[in-house]
Amino acid sequence: MSKYLDLSIKEIHELLVEKKITPLNLVEEALERIEAAKDLNAFITVNDKVREEASTLGEVDPDNLFFGIPIAIKDNIVTKDLKTTCASHILDNFIPIYDATVVEKIKNAKMLIIGKANMDEFAMGSTSETSYFGAPLNPHDKKRVSGGSSGGSASAVAGGLVPLALGTDTGGSIRQPASYTGLVGMKPTYGRISRYGLVAFASSLDQIGPMTRTVYENAALLNILVGEDEKDLTSVKKEKEDFTRFIGDDIAGMKIALPKYFVSEIVDKEISDRIKEIISLLREKGALVDIIDMKYLDTAVNLYQIIAMAEASSNLARFDGVRYGFRADNIDSVDSMYAKTRGEGFGDEVKRRIMIGSYILSGENAKTYYDKALKVRDDITKEFARIFKDYDLIIGPTTTRVAPMLGMTKDDPHKAFMDDVLVIPVNMAGLPGLNVPVGINSEGLPIGLHIIGKSFAEATIYRLASFIEEVER
Amino acid sequence: MSEFTPTIGIEVHVEVKSKSKLFSNSANSYGMATNTSVNVIDLGYPGTLPTINKEIIRQGIRTAHILNCDITRRMHFDRKNYFYPDNPKNYQITQNRTPIGRNGYVEIEVDGTKKKIEIEELHIEEDTCKSAHRGSVSLLDFNRAGVPLIEIVTKPCIKNGKEAMAYLTKLKELLFYANISDCKMEEGSMRCEPNISISKDDSFGTKVEVKNVSSIHSVGLAIDYEIKRQEEMLNNGETIKEETRRFDDKQGKTILMRVKETGNDYRYFIEPDIPYLELTDDFINESLNALPLLPDELRKKYTNLGLSSLQIEKLINNRSLNTYFLGLLDYKTNYVTAVNLLLSDIASYLNKHNRLILETKLSYEKLVKVIESLESKELSNKNVKDLIDSLMETDKSIEELKKEFNIENITDDSFIKEVVTKVIENNTDSVNDYKNGHDRALKYLMGQVMKETKGAVNPKKANDILIEALNK
Repeated sequence: MSKYLDLSIKEIHELLVEKKITPLNLVEEALERIEAAKDLNAFITVNDKVREEASTLGEVDPDNLFFGIPIAIKDNIVTKDLKTTCASHILDNFIPIYDATVVEKIKNAKMLIIGKANMDEFAMGSTSETSYFGAPLNPHDKKRVSGGSSGGSASAVAGGLVPLALGTDTGGSIRQPASYTGLVGMKPTYGRISRYGLVAFASSLDQIGPMTRTVYENAALLNILVGEDEKDLTSVKKEKEDFTRFIGDDIAGMKIALPKYFVSEIVDKEISDRIKEIISLLREKGALVDIIDMKYLDTAVNLYQIIAMAEASSNLARFDGVRYGFRADNIDSVDSMYAKTRGEGFGDEVKRRIMIGSYILSGENAKTYYDKALKVRDDITKEFARIFKDYDLIIGPTTTRVAPMLGMTKDDPHKAFMDDVLVIPVNMAGLPGLNVPVGINSEGLPIGLHIIGKSFAEATIYRLASFIEEVER
Repeated sequence: MSEFTPTIGIEVHVEVKSKSKLFSNSANSYGMATNTSVNVIDLGYPGTLPTINKEIIRQGIRTAHILNCDITRRMHFDRKNYFYPDNPKNYQITQNRTPIGRNGYVEIEVDGTKKKIEIEELHIEEDTCKSAHRGSVSLLDFNRAGVPLIEIVTKPCIKNGKEAMAYLTKLKELLFYANISDCKMEEGSMRCEPNISISKDDSFGTKVEVKNVSSIHSVGLAIDYEIKRQEEMLNNGETIKEETRRFDDKQGKTILMRVKETGNDYRYFIEPDIPYLELTDDFINESLNALPLLPDELRKKYTNLGLSSLQIEKLINNRSLNTYFLGLLDYKTNYVTAVNLLLSDIASYLNKHNRLILETKLSYEKLVKVIESLESKELSNKNVKDLIDSLMETDKSIEELKKEFNIENITDDSFIKEVVTKVIENNTDSVNDYKNGHDRALKYLMGQVMKETKGAVNPKKANDILIEALNK
């Protein structure tokens, strides 16, 4: 079996330019690897037209680093003519008739979509175990989860099946699986990447982002994905910038904050210790690192549950069997069509969240819960802004523990949210956050560092991340 | 006099005129083939997001202005969540907490008394699909899904069917004139839903809503019927239930559709896919600059021009003629004559050919010339009637037309004298009658002159010459 996919994107690109390999070689290798690693369950759908697409890609463009590179797309991002299931029975035969804006960008950059990555059903979960198609496994230890909700994307890249993947992050769903599988995963600033074509879970929190093996590849892929989109009013117009531009810069003089909460007793000791080592290292290299007090971080999970579930209950209302997707048999009225279609089509976790979300918005509850949550959310945003007056970045561990065993959170839905306790505050404030691997624990499982930046300061995050990556190497 | 006081509020939905739908770029036009103006956004496809059609926000601003409402400067949209097959996303994007207009009024006049009908609020929202039921099958037309609506809600300040009709007539006139909506109730571009309660004291009675009312007149009938029905029920010791009824035109009565069992729970929350909108002064002013003159302003203006109230109402009722006439005001001419022409010969030409005046070749310059010729008696009203087709359809000047229609020598005294002499010679009996004091004979002789000249002579001049000749 060839090993091109283990090379860096830059190296692959050189081989393509020198015509030593073709995009078809890369696709064949990816397909072979996917076949060989079927037990990882990383993909829900493999693109059966990808060989043809690779063959007809045209002349290699020496200025396009991503020409012919295979990529996995999380299965909640719609792809024209390629099944998009959201890991749900209710869409298990849904073939979209349009491309998401990011998919258009991927196609314009001549990347090859190898398939649709497994995930938690409608991105609701922290371990990808809520997938209708079963959980993807962690390539570092197949008895463990690869995290969620972008677990399939994480498994695919960490397992070497593809070098690049798109994930989505509503409450940590890119960064947490990246941490569990030892990848670089970026949740960009809310509004940085168009959400058009991302099947909405919680509209005010959802963001698409890149999951890659290296910081450079992550930043380079982000370059392709960003931009204001007239089809998404929440996307933001920004000057074009190169996110790789600070990569390789030293970190002397950088001001970094570490909130006490991020190294409190909720975090596994081995992880805390590793973070403390990193802090020493950063100080050694001339960065200022202060351990600070920060308010509201512990409220984020509760806010997340209120806001995300409320929005989800409305976003998922459209799956009713009327226009597309699954419709239950033996229905005798409109009401029974709704009840049976949604009853049979959605899994337990999705139903649980729709019910809680509906309750939260019901009558006076909307004021008691939802409106109040939005207010506290503003407070979190202000608290971040306060810290960012004095600091360039905030850091901490991405997760409180390493990847858990399969089935561990199954019977305790609330416990699953605790996997995301450190990453959720970032979604609440709409900020960019990234996971960069910082070694392994005693069991050989990846530990991740979480770097949080100011709004639209992704390039600064990549600066620190690349420095740490370099030291780790 | 009844011992009960009725309290009536009305909700009006109008379809807003715009090129495209509220949240997508599909065409917003009535009467297209079923399901041809539809895209993935209208269908509520997974992953789609709404965009905002700014023109509809402008229409909302204009509506708020003409209904004397306060305009909400910082507003957002809300989701109204409910399941129904005609509701593609199973939520409707509407404005719940920040309606674009609040606290307005419409002034009406009933039996000589003026009254302000207070507007509680008006907001922008999207329409649902149109559904049709065929036996056990239901069909959906998504052309209507996402069509922009403005909903206008009055305070419960209307007292009877007459007031309601006056309000709706005025509202329709305003919205139509401001180019907000076609307001065609028969096509569903204006839908009126009155709610009626009656009470013996200051407290409100139980509200009954009436839907599917087909015309403004029927709204009046439905309200008066409903007041009577509720009075009878209460007098019989019955209890009125909160319910929705429809009005049956043929039977002239309201019929129960459904009883409201529990309060609807629409689980409103702020639409997260659409950021807050800040309406700036510039945006508001730009929107309002495009407003045409409204009926009451026109009435005032036209009264000052010396038009009769009959002419004014006729003109206002014909919006395209009115628009044309407003353009004519840039020219100096006799406007009363102009309106007479517009409402008579020109209007009947347009009706006959089913055409709009702007589609004809009647330039302002040409019309001014026609009016001048009428005043100087170079043309008679009869001439204009004869020339009307050519005036409307050709670029020929009046001089050219006069030649063509052989009315060139109309003021040529010698020609008229020639004809008069001939008529006198051929009608000696009538001439004698005239001389014996029979005035009718003059009319007959004049008729002969006109017949001889095919009506092309200046009648006043011909009359003068005829009398002169007879008196010789």
